[in-house]
Amino acid sequence: MIELIRNSYRYRELIWALALKELKIRYKRSVLGFMWALLNPALLMLVLTLVFSSIMRFPIPHYAIFLLSVLLPWTFFAQSLSYAVESIVTNGDLIKKIAVPKLVFPMAALVSNLINLLLSLIPLAILVPALRHPFYWTWIYLPVPLLALAIFTLGMTFFFAVANVFYRDVAHILQIVLSAWFYLTPIIYPLDLMPAKYHWLFKLNPIIYVINGFRLSVYYGQLPHLQSIAASFVCAFISLFIGFSIFRRYQDSFVFYV
Amino acid sequence: MIRLENVTQRFRVIQERPDTLRELFSKLFRRQTSYHDFEAVRNVSFDVPAGQMLGVIGRNGSGKSTLLKIIAGVYRPTSGVVQINGSIAPLIELGAGFHHELTGRENILLNGLLMGYSKRDMLERQERIIEFADIGDFIDAPVKQYSSGMYMRLAFAVATEVDPRILLVDEILAVGDAGFQEKCFERIRNFRASGKTILFVTHSMNDVQEHCERVLLLEQGSIVVDGRPEEAIAMYKSLTTPELVGAH
Repeated sequence: MIELIRNSYRYRELIWALALKELKIRYKRSVLGFMWALLNPALLMLVLTLVFSSIMRFPIPHYAIFLLSVLLPWTFFAQSLSYAVESIVTNGDLIKKIAVPKLVFPMAALVSNLINLLLSLIPLAILVPALRHPFYWTWIYLPVPLLALAIFTLGMTFFFAVANVFYRDVAHILQIVLSAWFYLTPIIYPLDLMPAKYHWLFKLNPIIYVINGFRLSVYYGQLPHLQSIAASFVCAFISLFIGFSIFRRYQDSFVFYV
Repeated sequence: MIRLENVTQRFRVIQERPDTLRELFSKLFRRQTSYHDFEAVRNVSFDVPAGQMLGVIGRNGSGKSTLLKIIAGVYRPTSGVVQINGSIAPLIELGAGFHHELTGRENILLNGLLMGYSKRDMLERQERIIEFADIGDFIDAPVKQYSSGMYMRLAFAVATEVDPRILLVDEILAVGDAGFQEKCFERIRNFRASGKTILFVTHSMNDVQEHCERVLLLEQGSIVVDGRPEEAIAMYKSLTTPELVGAH
């Protein structure tokens, strides 16, 4: 774990440069360029707001905010994994030719998506007062769930990046896993909607604790219980520990399999 | 200084490597192993003292490039010890770290960071790199618009302007026009004069004869000759000639 911190610090400039490269390439040749990082979530929010305020009505006030407060962190999680799972394989040519620390690739995938998530909070902050939803002071608590989410996601990106080097099916399986996981997580529905006798099942889902803080602070204007915060960081560090241990163990053989 | 002790690099050559789970399962059930191990570099030991220019020759597939990649740190050898003193500039596959959508200037920074230099190092050297590459306004165009000559010039400039102690050169000087090749050799001569260690892989016996004081001849991953250029070249010729006669 200390090795991970030391290496991320040592290669911070490289990780940052690779993350920016990723974003630059994503928005290259579009007229609006980097503006899309803001426009994309803004337009998505607009569509969701229209759909849920006029077409499908849920018995939840300001459903768009209810949804977006966890949809944005979920999108970050899903996108980071989708990028990172291929990150070692797509950089295979580089790994075969230059002695480069392998951990920079999944980390760059994470950082570029983290930038996207942070940018998408800006349109959300505009949408909240626009829909006359109270703008709670608990927004200032967001860095805490953001940190837990980033750590949790990083561990998973390490794991999937390694697995995909050895079995290319993993990238496909991941997409199925993510979509099942999406519906099994209370993102589009509140947990209370589920029968109480199944709640224990939902509580086995680690990402609940991690993204719960986002909905509480943005939509409800509350802070999570201490146990819930602790649970989110326990899940995050378990994920990071397992993911990084596996990554570390196999990183020297990537060069033979990419 | 470079020191290798009993270095062996084994590759597992897998026929139809199980790339997908389905193949893995079918392999497991049939219980057959369809691979063989192949030693690209076999029990190689040598020292290169600082300031020496060492030529490495051998037929295709004799392990020259694998050897360079072990020294560059791309491969961790299966067994043996590799000791390197000083920073390395690997001129193996130049421009490997370039990204086609980024401009030359952006690639200078990214490539430098990939080779382990800091942003500040690269910004300090940027102007000199651009000057040496001499590609004019193209420096701010994406490198996918470069001609292969321009690409190589920029890559060579980045790799050598970073002031390494050890230079690994893998047959890269065959590109670029005569003027640029002369510039490259000039730079390599300067490196040599300033006491840097150079490992030079080539098929050109003239270059070996002209530039190297010591030559390794590799054959099937082992060192056959470690000595004066004349000796190694004579042995190399005796290895290649019968094959040529047989082939035609």
